[in-house]
Amino acid sequence: MTSEAEKAESCPVDGNRSDGKDRRSFIARFSSLWMGLGLVSGYGYFASIILRFLYPSRQTNAKDKSWQFVTDLGSIKQGDSLTFISPAGEKAVITRMNMKGDASDFIALSSVCPHLGCQVHWEANKNRYFCPCHGGAFDPSGKATAGPPKAAGQSLPRFTLKVENNLLYIRAKTKSLV
Amino acid sequence: MGVIGNWFKERLPVSGVELAELTNEPVPNHMRRWWWCLGGTPAYLFVVQIVTGILLAMYYQPAPETAFESVERITNEVNFGWYIRSVHKWAATLMIAAVVLHQMRVYFTAAYRKPREINWMIGMCLLLCTLLLGFTGYSLVFEQLSYWGVTVASNICDTVPVVGGTIKQMLLGGESYNENTISRFFILHAAVLPTLMVMLIALHIAILRLQGISELQFEDEPEEGPKHFDFFPDHLYTELIVGLVLMILLSTLATLYPAGIGTHADPLTTPEHIKPEWFFYPSFLWLKWFPGTVAVLSSGFIVFVMFIWPFIDAMIVKATKYKDFYVWVGIAGVLMLVGMTLWEALH
Repeated sequence: MTSEAEKAESCPVDGNRSDGKDRRSFIARFSSLWMGLGLVSGYGYFASIILRFLYPSRQTNAKDKSWQFVTDLGSIKQGDSLTFISPAGEKAVITRMNMKGDASDFIALSSVCPHLGCQVHWEANKNRYFCPCHGGAFDPSGKATAGPPKAAGQSLPRFTLKVENNLLYIRAKTKSLV
Repeated sequence: MGVIGNWFKERLPVSGVELAELTNEPVPNHMRRWWWCLGGTPAYLFVVQIVTGILLAMYYQPAPETAFESVERITNEVNFGWYIRSVHKWAATLMIAAVVLHQMRVYFTAAYRKPREINWMIGMCLLLCTLLLGFTGYSLVFEQLSYWGVTVASNICDTVPVVGGTIKQMLLGGESYNENTISRFFILHAAVLPTLMVMLIALHIAILRLQGISELQFEDEPEEGPKHFDFFPDHLYTELIVGLVLMILLSTLATLYPAGIGTHADPLTTPEHIKPEWFFYPSFLWLKWFPGTVAVLSSGFIVFVMFIWPFIDAMIVKATKYKDFYVWVGIAGVLMLVGMTLWEALH
């Protein structure tokens, strides 16, 4: 082989050289992309572990609801009310409206304001429940009459009641962690 | 001395003269005025907060069973505990006031305009961090306001569509206030937010240095002569004196009006009269005026508009050719903020 031919083989023409350059830059870009994907997926997975770590693994306060004994029907007269606190710390105000002798006689309202979660209290002189946080007010049936809960059409949440063997039960959460 | 100096010079090849030249940025003449120190003031107060915060953390115990008692112990039993806690509380109050005043100054001198838009947005992040530090701070005492403040704030998060519930759970470490909550707030208050704040302050100052301080020409200043003075030592001395005056002010306030302590948190009773700290009065009033989701989303929108205000302002100026529209917006905003704060304070 002549030296000219050797030269031609070892040193490609201009077009070939530019192909090589393109190939090199393609490989560089491709490997950068893989590198980036590796970093993003690696650290992204690590970030997802952090988020899952921070997210509460067990619903600490969301305990199962169960029927809980409140009182016997004879001990509460029409117009009377009593406060029930469940083991989970839920507070319900139970008022007797009638004397038929079944669960429809009673109304059990949560004392948690549906606006932003403060505790309402009964204001006897104004015949209403009042939330001191943002001035929400509710009538004795739990319907909002003033403040942001009225504007949003919210009411005090109700508890379910039942009467068995002349005993009143309420369905509420069972465990407190506070 | 020469031997020691050379020993250090060989290992730390930094010349003091070069370093001074590099960092000794020219300070515009208007900053000779004493009241022109509202950027440095929150930075100084932040240092006070770090020092007093580290000291308080030596005794504070972030758990529902111990938090309130440990704050009582700091206030009543620990040597100078009342003083350190009161300085921490007053420095927080002054820091928030100084940050707000600094932002107003930047706004009304239009110092957020091109090319300083990014620094305005970093400043907005600093404002939000400061407010969050204030909020997480008073939630740690585990008095009634702490408990109900956290309950309301977490339910505010809950009203945000789609992601609200998740944010609430992440914040509380459960569905409602529980044994994980106070330690989360402590970590936010004592580690996460301060670290974020240090990084943002560094960025804020770095960008300020790169761009230089926006310059103002007052009418009583001579047209001729140098328009700048040295940072070292002139401006540094000014800042040191401001720091000293602030320390005297903090000590006086801490002594005359020491930080008190309310009643222990009671998850079953919201007190008859409850209000957040003064810097949340406008949002408190906003929450009373509008239903939950409307109030939260509109507040978020206002904060977003504040964030991108430099760009909105630029568009207004381009469209109307009127450069002072921002002044009227600013006056309306300040009047509203002050009015809402005063209204809530007096009711």
